[in-house]
Amino acid sequence: MTQENTQNTKSKKLDGKVPTGPVQERWKTHKFNMKIVNAANKRKYSVIVVGTGLAGASAAASMAELGYNVTTFCIQDSPRRAHSIAAQGGINAAKNYTNDGDSVYRLFYDTVKGGDYRARESNVYRLAEVSNSIIDQCVGQGVPFAREYGGTLSNRSFGGAQVSRTFYARGQTGQQLLLGAYSAMMKEVHNGKIKSFTRREMVELVTIDGKARGIIVRNIVTGEFERYVADAVVLATGGYGNVYFLSTNAKASNASAAFRAYKKGAYFANPCFTQIHPTCIPVSGDHQSKLTLMSESLRNDGRVWVPKIKGDKRKAIDIPEEERDYFLERIYPSFGNLVPRDVASRNAKNMSDSGFGVSATGKAVYLDFAAAIKRDGVEKIKAKYGNLFDMYQRITDDNPYETPMMIYPAIHYTMGGLWVDYNLMSNIPGLFVLGEANFSDHGANRLGASALMQGLADGYFVIPYTIGNYFATEKFSKVETTHNEFDKAHTESKAKYDKLLAINGTKTVDEYHRELGHVMWDNVGMARNETGLIDAIAKIQAIRADFWKNVKVTGSNVDVNTELEKAGRVADFLELGELMALDALERKESCGGHFREESQTEEGEAKRDDENFCHVAAWEFQGDSKPLRHIEELSFENVKLTQRSYK
Amino acid sequence: MTSKKCSTSTSIGKKQIMGVTGLLLCGFVLTHLLGNLTLFIGSDAFNKYSHALTSNPLIYLAEVGLVILFFSHIVMAIKLTRENKAARPTDYYMRTKSGRGSTFASSTMIYSGVITLIFLIIHINGLKFGTHYDTNIAGVEMRDIYRTTIEYFQAPLHLAIYLIAVITLGIHVSHGFWSAFQSLGLNHPKYMPKLRCASVLFGLLIAIGFSTLAIYCYLQGGH
Amino acid sequence: MGGNSTEKMSLKLKVWRQKNNKDKGAMVDYTVDNISPDMSFLEMMDTLNSKLVKEKGDSIAFDHDCREGICGMCSMMINGQAHGPEAETTTCQLHMRKFKDGDTIVVEPWRAKAFPVLKDLMVDRGAFDQIMAAGGFVNINTGNPQDANAILIGQENAELAMDAAACIGCGACVASCKNASAMLFVSAKISQLALLPQGAIESEARTQAMVEKMDELGFGNCTNEAECEAQCPKGIKIENIARMNREWFKGAIGSRK
Repeated sequence: MTQENTQNTKSKKLDGKVPTGPVQERWKTHKFNMKIVNAANKRKYSVIVVGTGLAGASAAASMAELGYNVTTFCIQDSPRRAHSIAAQGGINAAKNYTNDGDSVYRLFYDTVKGGDYRARESNVYRLAEVSNSIIDQCVGQGVPFAREYGGTLSNRSFGGAQVSRTFYARGQTGQQLLLGAYSAMMKEVHNGKIKSFTRREMVELVTIDGKARGIIVRNIVTGEFERYVADAVVLATGGYGNVYFLSTNAKASNASAAFRAYKKGAYFANPCFTQIHPTCIPVSGDHQSKLTLMSESLRNDGRVWVPKIKGDKRKAIDIPEEERDYFLERIYPSFGNLVPRDVASRNAKNMSDSGFGVSATGKAVYLDFAAAIKRDGVEKIKAKYGNLFDMYQRITDDNPYETPMMIYPAIHYTMGGLWVDYNLMSNIPGLFVLGEANFSDHGANRLGASALMQGLADGYFVIPYTIGNYFATEKFSKVETTHNEFDKAHTESKAKYDKLLAINGTKTVDEYHRELGHVMWDNVGMARNETGLIDAIAKIQAIRADFWKNVKVTGSNVDVNTELEKAGRVADFLELGELMALDALERKESCGGHFREESQTEEGEAKRDDENFCHVAAWEFQGDSKPLRHIEELSFENVKLTQRSYK
Repeated sequence: MTSKKCSTSTSIGKKQIMGVTGLLLCGFVLTHLLGNLTLFIGSDAFNKYSHALTSNPLIYLAEVGLVILFFSHIVMAIKLTRENKAARPTDYYMRTKSGRGSTFASSTMIYSGVITLIFLIIHINGLKFGTHYDTNIAGVEMRDIYRTTIEYFQAPLHLAIYLIAVITLGIHVSHGFWSAFQSLGLNHPKYMPKLRCASVLFGLLIAIGFSTLAIYCYLQGGH
Repeated sequence: MGGNSTEKMSLKLKVWRQKNNKDKGAMVDYTVDNISPDMSFLEMMDTLNSKLVKEKGDSIAFDHDCREGICGMCSMMINGQAHGPEAETTTCQLHMRKFKDGDTIVVEPWRAKAFPVLKDLMVDRGAFDQIMAAGGFVNINTGNPQDANAILIGQENAELAMDAAACIGCGACVASCKNASAMLFVSAKISQLALLPQGAIESEARTQAMVEKMDELGFGNCTNEAECEAQCPKGIKIENIARMNREWFKGAIGSRK
């Protein structure tokens, strides 16, 4: 970290406040060592929770149950609609109900390795440790997990795991877990311990005396800016995949809350760690507004191929067997179609980029079930994938039982996020960050069925302890929303929206967002290189400059104005995109979802550089100057650093 | 989670009262139909049946009961309808039925109900309080309700009103019958399709049964 | 994609426009061209909106989020049916290939007293949250409950509970019911929890509380028409309403209060 300009000399080594001792004992010891707020005193503390997905809803409910006064905010019309709801596959836990050799240690091991050694061992161990309690808790709430005939819980294997540790509720696990957390939250609304505000968007974090003490939200219905004060602020606002415009994220998923915090001084860690999902339904045209993911399990039976002739316009079924290139089977004979997400995605993109792509846009590859149907019969395939095939047919009007599916990779998860210590607190005291919004547990790559686990672990079983420790060890002055920091934040955020309305240019917000998305996808997508990243930074800066001169936002700021909402979010994406490119540029190694073309093995596989990059990069905002890159060194005492291979 | 309200004032309570009274009224209609079948046997049988009913002192109790049933059914219907109207103050510009849910019968309950109510008044007025004739069967003085009935149906208007009304009633009960079970929570995936079928058959029985009687009476007049 | 459906369509739209809650509102006519059959209904609305913005008009506000049929945010009355003509399909999953070039499409918001219009096609469904807060939960706190497998649940009940739990809370049942009744939504939660031992304990009290809240908020009554079931994008069955009625009856008869 010495090659850059002088700014880097100011870069700090960050302390994750990780407890010492054997990894198995750390969380237990830490729980004991943390200070506790007396039961009767808890009612004197208040917490703001922004975002009501798995992490936010579970945190809000659990803290309210303890006695804290919780206020929640969500962007949708109900806390139940957060995008956690769209997770299909399942949630991992180390229950070992299937007697196939699973354990907390194995789940920990798989997660560290799967994350390509860029996560904290201690955090991951804690995640694996509390995973079992999550299942118990959810069952207690009435989450209707799949059951065996004997009444016990069903498990399945997922995402290439060697053991069956995934609990599921049909293809709607995220929905059911979220509704469980939401119902716990509603219980506390009933008990008067949670005040839930909907259709509010956080537009500023308020810090007083260096501590996070409140937020400014924009009321989406009235356009008013509202002030809320508390003793701590919890951000559980999800990931930033929508920087790419097209992603599997919901339309309202955005990075603004996290990015506002970053601009107030919170460090943004590993922004370049994004995950691509290989089996999404391809883009059908410029009108496309979002991408739909299909479960990865499809690759268990589907064969991926493209025509051997470039630009072959024949229908898939008219292309004879010998003129098809089953490229995954060709390049990776031992893993074939089951190579990890990133490998499958990258190869599909390579094929499309070199002219072999199918569909009207040329950005798709075939996923063919003909062989599986011939082998197992239609009924068996229908039983396994019926709902996915139906969904595919609904969207594309193609029948996958007769003609091959078309798939293409899409952005669907971001491992990076605000930097937090072991207590899930950012470098701003009193600002806690949970779930996808933080960076902590998945390293450079997240395993299937682990996102739900992390969100709920943070909310149900971590924050209730660590926030108590924060309250018990800090002194709090009485703060009102009339404090001048609130005035300042209020004025600044209002000014931003007024400015957006005043520009009155010629291009719509969506046009800018799409433009940014193209740059991000092409240069900061699945494969990155130095030239492309430098180019991306220049392009993003140009788009951003043009945006602030020429964007067209109609409507007013006193009623619902969806254009204005979008403009506010895209303004932040335009800055975050640059930060992602910068982080990708500085991380001159390949790891997990971050593939630097300069750093690959002779076989074209991702090559880590543990010597120079076995660390977390956390960026500090520096106004108009280049942000500062701080690092947190990672040490691996339990899981040995090894290079993966799928040949 | 504690209850503060009187059970019968909640939406489900009201619906269950509709259901129970409706089912009992179905029972009444069915008995009425079965009793009236004596008309086919002849004047004496019908008159004797009618006399047996009206001369029993319990008839007043039964009549009071019936009035209460009708009254509750009607009052609840009015209450529910008013609430339902209030629940959607602005109507849609366009509304299309999916073809998979509501039926003609289900969407016209209040109208078929009102028609039935109006008919009920005409019916009681024209027959129960209609022209009084006396007859003597085996030494017992009794009302010749048979003659009143036959005479009543000689007017084509009376016949027409009657036919329209009983068909309307048939439609009303074809939804009301199974619907009562649903409101009372007696829905079972195995029996419900059969019950819905039985409900339609019951409606048909009511409509055809009473229509046949009326047409029979009309034809008795020498047409 | 979509094989042969490549030709673009022109459509006439009649859309409900209402500035805010206090505005009276009216149907306004629009035309949109160049609509691809592969577009979703919401992407068609996006196209119209971007045209409106370019023409300095105010874009049409509508609720949407996940656009994959699970969040329950999208809510449009399309040609007189909740989420449009396709069975078990949310608005975001309805595709334009279901319409023909030159069609006139009527788009309105959900209409119910309990769902006041906020703007255009956007309504306030906060009433659903209030009903849930009245009792749509199991009263357990986060902590250390017994092991998950200590509660055995027969597969059939687990599946039935899941059927009911699939409700996305979009409000199509209210919108499609001629009485604007919320029975299907409320019964889906009551049913899910009544079918599971964890929830069965409080079932009667929960039913009373949720039904009372539903009534208080001004939803209509059930006429057992099953139009809600027919227009529900998740195919929730009115069997759940019967189960709720049963739970309610048990509570009404058996309650000590």
